[in-house]
Amino acid sequence: MTIIESSNEPGATLYVVVFVGLLVIVGLEVFLTYRGLPAGTLLASLLALAVIEAALGVMYFMHLKYEHRALFWSLIPAIVFVLLMMNYLWPDAMRLNSLRLPTP
Amino acid sequence: MGESELTMPGGHAATAEASPYGITSKKLVMWLFIIADSATFGALLFGYGYLRLGSPDWPRPFAFSPSILNGMVMTVVLLSSSMTMLGAVAAAQKGDRPASTRWLGATIVLGLTFAGLHLNEWSKMITEGWSLSTDPLGKSVEFGAAFFSITGLHLLHVISGAVAIAVVAIMFRRGRLTAGHIETTGLYWHFVDLVWMFVFPLMYLMNAH
Repeated sequence: MTIIESSNEPGATLYVVVFVGLLVIVGLEVFLTYRGLPAGTLLASLLALAVIEAALGVMYFMHLKYEHRALFWSLIPAIVFVLLMMNYLWPDAMRLNSLRLPTP
Repeated sequence: MGESELTMPGGHAATAEASPYGITSKKLVMWLFIIADSATFGALLFGYGYLRLGSPDWPRPFAFSPSILNGMVMTVVLLSSSMTMLGAVAAAQKGDRPASTRWLGATIVLGLTFAGLHLNEWSKMITEGWSLSTDPLGKSVEFGAAFFSITGLHLLHVISGAVAIAVVAIMFRRGRLTAGHIETTGLYWHFVDLVWMFVFPLMYLMNAH
C-alpha cells in the first residue's frame, strides 16, 4: 500500500496573504467592538468573522483544501451538525433569566 | 507538500486496505482528535453563552488598555507561531532537518510567549479579586468560572503543544521521526491557533468596555 500525502501545497506567498488577512480580520473585530453596536449585532458580526478566520486556517494552514475531498466531507459537516445541535439550550437560558430570584 | 510514502511488506500488501482519504493513519487520527476537541470547545463556549444569556448583570471587565491590547498582542503572537510552524513543515518536507528544528524552536518560543502573556493577565485579574466563584465588580460570579475555564483549557492546549513540539523536534533532529510527524504536530498547533480565533472575540471583545 502506498500513501502519498497531499500535493499542490500552497506557497509561502499564499501563507503570508492568509496571515495578513487574519490580522486584518482581528483588527476589524476590535474596531467593531468599539463601534457601540447592539450586543446581538456585535455577537453575530464577531462570530461571522471568526468563522471566516477558522475557514482560512483550516483550508490553507491545515491544508484541508489540498486533501482528498472525502476528508472534508467526512469531517466538516459532522462538526457543523454537532455545533448546530447545541443551539437547543438557548430557550432554557432565557427561561433561567426570568426565573432568577431578585438580588437581596 | 512533499511526499512521504509508507510501504508495507509485500506479503501483507494484498490484504491491506487502502486509506479512504489517501493520508497516513496518524494524520487521520489527528483530524479526528481535532474534530472531537472542536466539539469540546464548542460545548464550553455554548455553556458560556448559556450562562451569559441567563445572567442579567453580566460584567464587562476588559478595558481597551491593557486587556484588549494584550489580547491583540497574544493573537498576533499565536498567529505568528502558525507561520513558523508552516516553515517547520516546509523545511521538514525538503529534508532540511536543522532548519525545521529551528522553525520548531521559534514556534515553541512564540507559544511560550503567548502562555506568559496569558498567565500575566490571569495574575493581574486574580490580584484584583477575580476567581472561579468571585467577581470584584459585584456582578455575575459565573463570568470568572466561564473565563478561567475556557481560557484555561486553551492555555493547557498551548503549553502541552509546546512540550509536544519540543519532544517531536528533538526526535526529528535525531532522525527518529519523519516529516509526516512534523506535519501532524503542525495540524494540532494550527487548531490551537484557530480555537483562539473564537475565544478572543467571545471571551474578550464581548466583555470589553
